[in-house]
Amino acid sequence: MSVQLSDHTDPSPPPSSINANSSLGSSAAAAASSSESNQTIPVPATSFERYKRRDMSKVVVRFRAIGNAPILKQNFYKITASNQFKAVIQFLRRELNYKASDPLFLYINSAFSPAPDEIVSNLHKCFNTDGHLIINYCTSAAWG
Amino acid sequence: MTTAPQNPITRAIWDGTLPIKFSLDATEAAALGAKTIIEPYFVFRGSRGGAGGVYLSMNLHLINRLQMCTYEDQIRKYFVDMALNFIGDDAEIWYDVDGTPLKWHYPIGLLFDLHTGYRPDSNSPPPLPWPVTVHFKNFPADKLIRAQEIDATQDFFMSMIKEADFLRNGSTKKVMNLSKNDQTQLWDGLWSIFIVLFTSFVCILHKCLNNLINCNQIYRTENYERFWSVNYRLVINDGQMPRHIPLRIYLPENCPVIQEPVTPVDENGNQLTLGDVLHQILPDLFPSPVAGENNSTAAPVIHGVIPQLEMPIVWASQNLCYPDNFLHIVVLMGI
Repeated sequence: MSVQLSDHTDPSPPPSSINANSSLGSSAAAAASSSESNQTIPVPATSFERYKRRDMSKVVVRFRAIGNAPILKQNFYKITASNQFKAVIQFLRRELNYKASDPLFLYINSAFSPAPDEIVSNLHKCFNTDGHLIINYCTSAAWG
Repeated sequence: MTTAPQNPITRAIWDGTLPIKFSLDATEAAALGAKTIIEPYFVFRGSRGGAGGVYLSMNLHLINRLQMCTYEDQIRKYFVDMALNFIGDDAEIWYDVDGTPLKWHYPIGLLFDLHTGYRPDSNSPPPLPWPVTVHFKNFPADKLIRAQEIDATQDFFMSMIKEADFLRNGSTKKVMNLSKNDQTQLWDGLWSIFIVLFTSFVCILHKCLNNLINCNQIYRTENYERFWSVNYRLVINDGQMPRHIPLRIYLPENCPVIQEPVTPVDENGNQLTLGDVLHQILPDLFPSPVAGENNSTAAPVIHGVIPQLEMPIVWASQNLCYPDNFLHIVVLMGI
């Protein structure tokens, strides 16, 4: 079973940094190059500023519907890496035109549901498949 | 059925406790119609390490049970007053320390290390009991996830265990292959600590401290057995070297949590140490993988202890992980 999240219970700012980039299409090459755009900026050793700085690079997520969940017209999206996972949840809800009360469950790699405050770049680094973070979604709890 | 490992380290972590002093937010309590003067109302020993696994959301139930179960003193009276006037649901309850909301889905031991920033090697005593404020209103939805019910805690816990398993094996097969019974046992072992703690509180009320100590010991052993007989199979990974170590690093000043795929061995098959891993991920804070050669004041804190940088990361993961199977490392700077 998984935690069901709904928009009205989580009124954080809209994920404006999520862009539906239709020109991306299913080009794996574009996906690969996007994940290479990380850049490190040197700062003094005692400062935590570099760790606080938002990672504005983008990573590619790929949505896959499960069961009778509606299929998206486009399933590749570039998402700002420093976003929390809840931005992904809210984005998907908007794309599906789902009301807050409609059940929606998201999983990574058909395996587990990350907490909404996990960071997309961490999930991408740890769980990407060929540079894509694969997110399965369904309208009833699937794995576990 | 496997038995729990007779491992003094996992056992010591399981038995670790953290005294917490909960007080109600004065303004909110007044608004709710509380008649008595607001005082910090109890101290209980939140299990710390095993209890790394005890989550704050479990306290919601503690509060409810207190309303029902305690009798004759001022604290209970206070709760009855609260019960009559608090009509919101449990999901509205939240906690803060010095104005910082506490994430209910983090283990309490981790929250303590993170929010107090207390270095175990410092000369001053630790800030104990840890003062935590309880709120019934104004849930900070921009900072905290709303938990609808206690099941949410179990879901988060199981999801973390699966995430850890995925890091170790590239799939969640090991967790999914656990029988329903084993999965239940895992959660029950953890949850039962909490029941024990609640019992402890009742005992304190009745000043039966000896009784408390005795019953605690027996229950703790039972629950340790229950939890670790299952968890051992996951943590030890059937004797296979894990692909990656389930690990998160927390830096001061509210930096984003760091989670990377950490391989436990180098290209020559040599085991990496905790120092190697910290040096790889945070080279400016850990300029050398060896303790003596670091001119930085940064130190890792796990379960309120500064572990040696020389310990193999696999060993650290197997012995020092929290019940969610993650090694949660808080990096603190010295004075």
